[in-house]
Amino acid sequence: MFEAIRGHLAASAPHDAVRAAHHAAAAHGEDVSAREEKRATVVFEGTAVERFKQALEAVAGKCFVVRDEAAASEVLRRIAEQRDSQRVAVTDSKLAGRVLKLAALRSEVLENAAVESLFECDLGVTGARWGVAETGTLVIESDAERNRLASLVPAAHVALVEARNVRHTLGEVLQAINERGEGGLSRAITFITGPSRTSDIELTLAIGVHGPAELYVVVIEGEGNG
Amino acid sequence: MHQQTSETFDQNAREALADVQLRGALRNLATTFGGRRKEAIATVEDWEGLRDRARAAKDETLAHLDKYLEQFADNAERAGAQIHWGRDGAEACRIVLELIRARGASKVVKSKSMATEEIHLNHALEAEGLAPVETDLGEWIIQLAHETPSHIVVPAIHKSKRQIAELFAEKVGIEPTDDVAVLTGAARRILRRQFAEAEVGISGVNFGVAETGTILILENEGNARLTTSLPRTHIAVMGIEKVIPRFTDLDVFLKLLPRSGTGQRLTAYQSLITGTKRRPEDEGPEELHIVLMDNGRSRMLSHPVTRQSLACIRCGACLNACPVYQQVGGHAYGSVYPGPIGAVITPQLSGLKPAAQLPYASSLCGACREVCPVKIDIPELLLHLRAEVTEGTAAGTAAQHGPVKQRPLERFAFGLYARAWSSPTLYLLGARVARLLQGVVVRKGRIGKVGGLLAKLAPPLAAWTEWRDAPPLAPRTFREQWRDGQYREGN
Amino acid sequence: MRVSLFITCLVDQLWPSVGASAVEVLRRAGCEVVFDERQTCCGQPAFNTGYRNEARRLARRFIEIFEEGGADYVVSPSGSCTAMAHHFHELFAEDERWRRRAEALAARTYEFGAFLVNVLKVEDVGASFKGRVTWHDACHGLRDLGLREEPRRLIRGVRGAEFVELPNADACCGFGGTFSVKYPEISVAILDNKIDAIEKAGVRAVVSGDASCLMQIGGRLTRNNSQVRTMHLAELLASRE
Repeated sequence: MFEAIRGHLAASAPHDAVRAAHHAAAAHGEDVSAREEKRATVVFEGTAVERFKQALEAVAGKCFVVRDEAAASEVLRRIAEQRDSQRVAVTDSKLAGRVLKLAALRSEVLENAAVESLFECDLGVTGARWGVAETGTLVIESDAERNRLASLVPAAHVALVEARNVRHTLGEVLQAINERGEGGLSRAITFITGPSRTSDIELTLAIGVHGPAELYVVVIEGEGNG
Repeated sequence: MHQQTSETFDQNAREALADVQLRGALRNLATTFGGRRKEAIATVEDWEGLRDRARAAKDETLAHLDKYLEQFADNAERAGAQIHWGRDGAEACRIVLELIRARGASKVVKSKSMATEEIHLNHALEAEGLAPVETDLGEWIIQLAHETPSHIVVPAIHKSKRQIAELFAEKVGIEPTDDVAVLTGAARRILRRQFAEAEVGISGVNFGVAETGTILILENEGNARLTTSLPRTHIAVMGIEKVIPRFTDLDVFLKLLPRSGTGQRLTAYQSLITGTKRRPEDEGPEELHIVLMDNGRSRMLSHPVTRQSLACIRCGACLNACPVYQQVGGHAYGSVYPGPIGAVITPQLSGLKPAAQLPYASSLCGACREVCPVKIDIPELLLHLRAEVTEGTAAGTAAQHGPVKQRPLERFAFGLYARAWSSPTLYLLGARVARLLQGVVVRKGRIGKVGGLLAKLAPPLAAWTEWRDAPPLAPRTFREQWRDGQYREGN
Repeated sequence: MRVSLFITCLVDQLWPSVGASAVEVLRRAGCEVVFDERQTCCGQPAFNTGYRNEARRLARRFIEIFEEGGADYVVSPSGSCTAMAHHFHELFAEDERWRRRAEALAARTYEFGAFLVNVLKVEDVGASFKGRVTWHDACHGLRDLGLREEPRRLIRGVRGAEFVELPNADACCGFGGTFSVKYPEISVAILDNKIDAIEKAGVRAVVSGDASCLMQIGGRLTRNNSQVRTMHLAELLASRE
């Protein structure tokens, strides 16, 4: 296959040279052929957390900004009670563990659910390594927490993220991951933006196909106490 | 209905134009996705700059594809993935089949992948007694209906809610309903069982990062995450053009692809997978196989015009924007890839001869180029392929199917035109003769519907006047008026 | 300023009045207009159908003719034919001398409206017209040459004319050269969206910069016995009613 690739690239070289010569000669201004009409750009002013909340809610996620882990556990308990949660799947995120403990839910909590029992859980609780403000995105990494299917299989997902980890752009997060260098890259990194959705039938939006129909993100502003 | 292939594009198109339901669905697609895309691109600061950066990254990769592929393969293997090379579709299918067999597996789930559609992987697996289950809602609908996708992003766009409800009632036994949420819920329930039991998951790949060996899969439903997390073995089928150089290049592509495709800032899920799990107690598959597939792609590298085809990130924006696709839909193209991008890659992948109509299935309006997030000059490609049709020079593909059928009458007409219109005398003579003759057909200052013998003698005139009047030639051409002195200064 | 008029075969044979209007407007804007009677066609029909040898033959002729005569600019009342002149270089990939000539000619070849606005810096040519008009963006002028604002500014400069924007003004009319007769059903299906929009706009005239689009749109309007007329931009700008 490499032989074919190299052969075809070599065949292209003279044509490439002609193209380059034309582009060098064609000094008649910018290439207009592919341009679209310029449109106004939406500019957001405010903090990363405010922007995150707005972006997440625009994609049908719910966002709670709280002062500390105790307040986060209040939110978690309210959600579990409202949903009458029976079985809760949780990742091994330290933050999720602490908040879950404070919440003292009446439901059964599975820390390392096997696939079959995972399908019977009605709520999943996870941490998140980062939040991305511009898109309302959560970033979950395999090196940081295991049993991440808790974020996917149950019908509702509660994610806990520290405010200091909410960055403005996806570019910043990709850069941060990249800077860790070789070995710093988790095997699985998942970006989550809102609940599971589809428009496959007549382009009508339906929420909650294979993943959760409800996504709650609790942003914790204070320092963690762990 | 006849068998729809690329060779019967004209006939397919006529049938599509008569399908009222289809045309309603296509109108909905153009308005909805077209509008959402416009809103979404207004949320980034420098859309044009992003497109330039994306194209530059693709150009860089393609100009050194051997180097980046090697780097990708090395890094993926170092992270624990196993790399396989499929020179063509048949070989890629064979590799997948053997991987499944060697594991004694029988339960296979799939997430949406155009690469596997392209090589008809499901057929190949079904022929060997396997029953892969499509898990993307649209793909599942298509699979239940034994149809093919009509759009690369929303494969079941041609079907109405009602048709889908009837299909579900027949195939999976649910009460017919008008409620999309109920239909979606049924799919969730039924496919969960498949996920729970699956031994092998097959996915496509949106981007492969050379620098890290990472594969990235975008989706909205969560089925790709399940497909790539639950089964013990994950097989990813990836076209060789999906490689990008650097991890941070993902930033620009993740800004462009969802906005162009569905008008989202970001799709609900992106899975970035680098090799296999590092500790046995971790979740995720034990094996990751990446099948790198050529299947006619490397041939496109041999000219800068055709090479652009490999920059495509399969967003579908050109389909939504294309006036032809908007009228006839995806099935008319008779190929896995429809619309403008399909009209240029189908002839290159499967041979120009069976797809010789497709490069002509365009008004060359350029709407595709305008919306393309990687600035592929599709009209330029269409013209390049049209020249290959008339010159019979389709490199590589001619051997597969024999030379492209020529149109001697058309060739004669264009030869005559070029010769006669190279002489001002003949040009004017032609105009005068035509002016004398047109009296036969001009009525009330225009040429109405032409029938009978004249229609047979001049098929283009008949085709034009069937639905449109034609203007008559003016009594005097501009050049005659000029010669007469009509435009002398002061007149 | 000396301007060589590239009339295009369509205008020459079907609508010489468009040529007359273009001459009048250019002169009004202070240009000396010359017309080389040897010109015929730019070769676009052959080029767009894939007959490159035939297109090359006409392109060479075109370049030779318009290099002579000492005009500062070549101006054409067609975005599509002007765009073809800008594509000539593609026909001479293996002939550097001709490619350079093609590039040099393209650099001084302008579409009529773009020439007025961008070279002559004129937006008001002293025209007047009674009634409501709308504009159809011809694809090649819009997307090959990037002309979006130029024609609109010129129309807004016409006294008495009430300009209304057409919904999807930049959508193709379905002409597409040989496409219109190779796939007439698709061509007309696309066209009918345009016709609907024009009829709903309640205009007296639909204006465009390409005779080919006007032939497509006008052919359907008259077939439907519509009251709306088609007008070339040059005709509107030459109007004094």
